Amino acid sequence: MSAVALLAGLGVLAALAAFAPRARRVQLVATILVAVEVVGAIVAIHVLVIDHPLAGHTTSLLPITGLHIDLTPLGALFTLTTAVVAFAATIHWVGYRRHAMSSVGASCAFALFVTSLLLVPAAGDIVTFLVLWEIMALTSLALVAHDHALRDEARQAAWWYGAMTQGGAALITLGLVVLGAHAKDPSFASIAASAHHLPGATRAAVFLALFIGFAAKAGLVPAHVWLPRAHAEAPAPASALLSGAMVNLGIYGIVLTRTLLGVGPTWWWLVAGFFGVISALYGSLYAATSTDLKRLLAYSTSDNMGLVVIGLAASGFFFAKHPAASSLALIASLVLVTAHALYKSTLFLGAGSVQYATHERNLDQLGGLARTMPVTSVAVVIGALSVAALPPLNGFSAEWLVVQSLVHGLAGADPVTTVATAVFVAALALTGGLTIVAFVKAVGIGFFGRARSEQAAHAREVPVSMRIGPGITATACVVFGVAPGLTLSAITRASATVAPNRSGMTATLAGFHLGALRGAVDPLALALGAVAATLVVAALRQSRGPAGAAKLRSFEPWGSGRVLTSARMQYTATSFAEPLQRVFDDVLAPQHDLDVSHAVESRYYIERVAYVSANDDVVERRLFRPVLALARWWGVRARGIANGSVHRYLAYGFVVLVLALVVVS
Amino acid sequence: MTTFANALASAAVVVTVGAVVVLWRHRLRSIVLALAVQGVALAVTAALLAGHEHDRVLFAVALLVLAVKAVVIPGLLVRVVAATPGARESDPLVNVPASLVVAGLLTLAAFIAARPIVALVGGPTGRLVPLGLATVLIGFFVMVARRRALSQVVGLLLVDNGIALVAFLVTSGVPVIVELGSSLDVLFGVVVLRVLLARLTAAGFSDLDQLRSLHD
Repeated sequence: MSAVALLAGLGVLAALAAFAPRARRVQLVATILVAVEVVGAIVAIHVLVIDHPLAGHTTSLLPITGLHIDLTPLGALFTLTTAVVAFAATIHWVGYRRHAMSSVGASCAFALFVTSLLLVPAAGDIVTFLVLWEIMALTSLALVAHDHALRDEARQAAWWYGAMTQGGAALITLGLVVLGAHAKDPSFASIAASAHHLPGATRAAVFLALFIGFAAKAGLVPAHVWLPRAHAEAPAPASALLSGAMVNLGIYGIVLTRTLLGVGPTWWWLVAGFFGVISALYGSLYAATSTDLKRLLAYSTSDNMGLVVIGLAASGFFFAKHPAASSLALIASLVLVTAHALYKSTLFLGAGSVQYATHERNLDQLGGLARTMPVTSVAVVIGALSVAALPPLNGFSAEWLVVQSLVHGLAGADPVTTVATAVFVAALALTGGLTIVAFVKAVGIGFFGRARSEQAAHAREVPVSMRIGPGITATACVVFGVAPGLTLSAITRASATVAPNRSGMTATLAGFHLGALRGAVDPLALALGAVAATLVVAALRQSRGPAGAAKLRSFEPWGSGRVLTSARMQYTATSFAEPLQRVFDDVLAPQHDLDVSHAVESRYYIERVAYVSANDDVVERRLFRPVLALARWWGVRARGIANGSVHRYLAYGFVVLVLALVVVS
Repeated sequence: MTTFANALASAAVVVTVGAVVVLWRHRLRSIVLALAVQGVALAVTAALLAGHEHDRVLFAVALLVLAVKAVVIPGLLVRVVAATPGARESDPLVNVPASLVVAGLLTLAAFIAARPIVALVGGPTGRLVPLGLATVLIGFFVMVARRRALSQVVGLLLVDNGIALVAFLVTSGVPVIVELGSSLDVLFGVVVLRVLLARLTAAGFSDLDQLRSLHD
């Protein structure tokens, strides 16, 4: 408890340090924040090791209910993940401040954002949870709106994010308050003890309210529309935290919902799984066709959260019939959440470094960065390989576990579950393919080949701290990818907060063995195999001798074997994704505009061709725009009753007062 | 006992009748005078309760009410009226006979609506609670039905006086700190509104509906 108080106190101190003079501000705040993150990590590791919640209560800070801290192993897993991601983001920030985020407001918001992210999983009752949740939402909103004075897109992003996060928070508050009203006190422990007394319909309504609220935070389709806007517009350290830590808390919320309400009927989890599948497919499809690097990463976040929710859903509906697969699916989704946090923050920090060096996010304007920014490029490549779930990186073992749990759960399932599971597996397969396309594009177009613009050509490697930040998370991706067993015991303990572990799974340093479910994977062996194969190829090439080397001709990487005379001969991000876009034309409904101007003298001479291709979000266009248009129409109509007359306004109040009195009496 | 009850009832009736007079009279000076009389009646109510309860603090509250509601606030408003001598509520939105009928209906509604409070408080004080509620409703109606900016301020003060009457009757006197706080609030509000009124008059507005031209 005192450790949590220390964490919160240091966080507030960091926020106050933001008022220091400009010259030392960011260094000072970052130093204190590193202390906050270290304390958070130590507390979380302590809870995971002793496998016992850390609880405490104080009434001095908040009247009536006080603050209630209860850091379970499940919460500790999320706090620990956040601490690692925030550590990398803070280090990155020290260099990034020369580009943006050096103001008092941004520093203060960043400090409070990190602190609240670390503390939300430690909340032990409704009030504490909602207070911390709101601090997190508001400080992150301030960071999303960081460039509001510079770009209209940033203002738009802030509006969308604000509306989504507040709408979600309203639903979460509603759900939790209904639960709290039926429990003897608002602590999560007593809610969990009393929730099964609730009528079925109420439980279902609460589940849906909480699921939708938390899904909006996790960026599930169709509540994902804030994600590509906010992640793209926020400064890099903030977007790394949004994607690497904050969306995780949406997942934490869904797991918490299950802890509070119990597993519940199968249809709950079929609904959850449905939205997971939609998010995974939609996110990966848009990631594959986006040309803005940060939008691409944001859509990929939506995709990954969809996969995590598929795992959680599988854990829910296998629970009754197949407890081993249920436990495995839960563990798998927690592994995927932590893996995602590491690789996605690597990628966002890398994208921030690219933006720092080139002032450009559009892949069509990048290229050739592997030569000019080698360290950043290596980190981004590791992140991209990991998100594409290629062995031996951490994304691979995570997705492998999700697939295993689905496949094994099929045995002995009822028809509905069987069909759903088959659909889930198919969705996972398609998502995997689309994700690979997206990241081959991101790395191939953005970092290999030749520079497509002046800025990209003159890019220089970023300052040391900005190389260390993504370096930390990239290293973690490799280490936990090669030796996934390192994290498994911690994650298993975290999952036991939700339901006892029946998976029978064991881990060695090198890999997982699924026990009764029969399945094993050794990423370490795969990694050694890959290294060995590379060595063999290298040795073969050497053995061909100088004669062979003389015939060796070198081509531009990513140049398709042609000799490139101009950077414009290369594939661009748009052209690379074009075949895919054509296949999914009906879903994406991209808008093309081709404008050919002829010379005045003759129509046979074309003077200018203008081609505009906009690939905006189809959910936003088809679902949210009509709703917004309706709201605007309603607002305009409502102006008729507010004509500016003071007397009329008073009369409204008067009539309502008299009517209320008459009704009450 | 009956003397106390009769005196209290008379004072409370004067408070309500004061509100009706505001609806009835056209001349702004008379309206402010009615408000001052109402303030005196309110102070008398508090003083009677203080005498009955032998509560010195409540007596201090009565003096405070007398000072603020019978002297200071009407004094401030009289200075506004003096700036435009002979000003009248010439063309009310609801004419006087209709207003008086509405006031009657509102009083009836107040008696119906206050039944639970009457039952709860009981005794000679409880029976008078509907008069306070009626004052609140009539004050609100003054704000709705009268055009002059000054009438609006008076309507607001009627609402406040009605609430004060209910508070005195229900709790047998409010703590001095509460009364001090609410009196100062009202005084502050009146000062602000007085400044606003002076500015409006200077700008040539006297009918609040003329402000509609500011609507976009």
